[in-house]
Amino acid sequence: MDLTDKEYVERCRDGHPEDFGLLVTRYQKSLFAYLAARVENLPQAEEAAQESFVRAFLSLPKLRKPESFYSWLLGIGSRVAREQFRAELHRRRDAETAETMMTSATSETENYPLEEALAALPENHRQMILLRYYEGLSCQEVATRLGLPLGTVTKTLSRAYLLLRHELEARDFRESGEQTVNQGKQS
Amino acid sequence: MNCADCRDNFIASVEGLLDHDQSLQCQAHLETCAACRTEYKALAGLQRRLVARGQAAAGVRMVEPVMRRIHAEQFKPERESIMTKLFKHRWGFGLSAAAGAAAILSFILIAMPKAQAQAVAIMTKGAQAVAKLTSIHLRGQVRTLPGDNFSLIMPDQGFVTIELWKQFEPGLKWRVEKPGRVVVMDGQSTLLFIKPDFGYKVPQPTPSAFDTQWLHEMANLNKTLETELTAIKSRNWPITLTQEQGADGKAKSVVSVEARSGLGADDYLHNKFFSTADTRRVYTFDNQSELLESVQIYLHAPAGDQLVFKLDEIDSNQPIDPSVFQLQLPANVSMGGAMPMLPDNEKYAAMTSEQAARALFDACAREDWTEAAKFFNPLTDTVKQLLGGLQVVSLGTHTTLSNGAEIVPYDITLKNGENKKWNVGLKRDPTTHRWFVDGGI
Repeated sequence: MDLTDKEYVERCRDGHPEDFGLLVTRYQKSLFAYLAARVENLPQAEEAAQESFVRAFLSLPKLRKPESFYSWLLGIGSRVAREQFRAELHRRRDAETAETMMTSATSETENYPLEEALAALPENHRQMILLRYYEGLSCQEVATRLGLPLGTVTKTLSRAYLLLRHELEARDFRESGEQTVNQGKQS
Repeated sequence: MNCADCRDNFIASVEGLLDHDQSLQCQAHLETCAACRTEYKALAGLQRRLVARGQAAAGVRMVEPVMRRIHAEQFKPERESIMTKLFKHRWGFGLSAAAGAAAILSFILIAMPKAQAQAVAIMTKGAQAVAKLTSIHLRGQVRTLPGDNFSLIMPDQGFVTIELWKQFEPGLKWRVEKPGRVVVMDGQSTLLFIKPDFGYKVPQPTPSAFDTQWLHEMANLNKTLETELTAIKSRNWPITLTQEQGADGKAKSVVSVEARSGLGADDYLHNKFFSTADTRRVYTFDNQSELLESVQIYLHAPAGDQLVFKLDEIDSNQPIDPSVFQLQLPANVSMGGAMPMLPDNEKYAAMTSEQAARALFDACAREDWTEAAKFFNPLTDTVKQLLGGLQVVSLGTHTTLSNGAEIVPYDITLKNGENKKWNVGLKRDPTTHRWFVDGGI
């Protein structure tokens, strides 16, 4: 039976480091998708995702809220992607190349809040979205995996979708407010 | 149906999981409620985004490399600095800094050896679980050329499907196949067919032949795992264990073994064949059945580890269709066999492999097929079409393989202008002692 993020984190801390692999299994695809929208190419996204997991494992003692493992992991991923970007920028000193990189790295910014919004969902809602869309399971397969009736899965997914949509709208609203403030400062 | 009921049914409605009455009720509510209609329409857009995200990450599988990196990170010389950082950190999970540091220290230093012991135990159980095989079918992918030697690894090539069927009882029979080459042992003889027109028959049954040994060893799961365990103990090969959830939702134990060939990086054979490569073998066992479910082999190369073989279908003790062990050759196949003794046989028998390679390429350049045929068993029309009129750019010095064959690097320009650099494999015929081409063309 699947444990919660909090339970896996606690088991890792209690001498079962191999259980970290189950957290990697759970979040590898969504973290990869999140980073793929932030870096230049897919191999970089995979490298950044692996590096993020390694750093997360080594920093597990610092995690104050184990139940927030996923949002914490995305934060690590975000830092790794920024470092990777800066390192690449430093490597290619050519100004024109840097400009191209800047454009490509910021051209898909509308995509990566999706995983950040997912991190804000209750864990059971988030797991169903991950299984249904990132693992590609059918609703019936999700029900079998989690040992739940099909109706419970479809209802929870419906609610998860509504929560996700509202979370994304709230983020759009906050970001548009920040942009307005920034534009006001510049003028 | 009210708004809350309708919204609870959104996913079931979109995925066609509602019964007829529920679907009608949901539709009726949507027709009268603008707010729910707006939400319902927005669902489609968000679903498309989610599906696209999932598709973008479909092939991602990083549990094993992440756990390997974690293991390497823990045991690298700079570990002290990591530990120092951990000691300095103010911990937030109910332990004092000193007690927390002690816990982490034991977590790093004690947990991994325990995990190694667990990994060995899992492999031992896996070996016991397949101790009595009556048949086996393996299906995997290997980076190589479709028609070349069965044991050749070519990291720069795409994946080619390779399969083995093996019946142990009532009598030994086997078949190994990849797209350009197949060999069948039907209990009486062993027949090799290299597409499109070359065949070779060994008139007796063989336990393995034509460079299929490594796959036969893998098919002998019990022996393979036991051999790995022996090497782990005697040669101190590193072994790690991780737990992960399989695509079927079941818990899996993933054991990684770092295998060392013992060859230096400058040795020509290093990383060319499975038996001469530095590799990481990754074995995945189902926790419940304890059976081995998949194998991946990664080649250690300067540019980074590369997956060169993945075995993802292992069916043991299932009946195999008898037709698998029959092979009908096309009518145009040229069959190899006993090589004839030539009037001037001594001249050819005295050649080194480099001299034989030079002589056969020069004969092909002149399209002197009588002379070229002395080095092929047999010379086929396909080879004539390929090599006729070639120009030799250069030939290298030979390397001897473990099976006694020698390979000679060559650089030639074909009649169509294409440049080809590869190695011709040469073997000595046991009767005439002449070199004949055994692959690499």
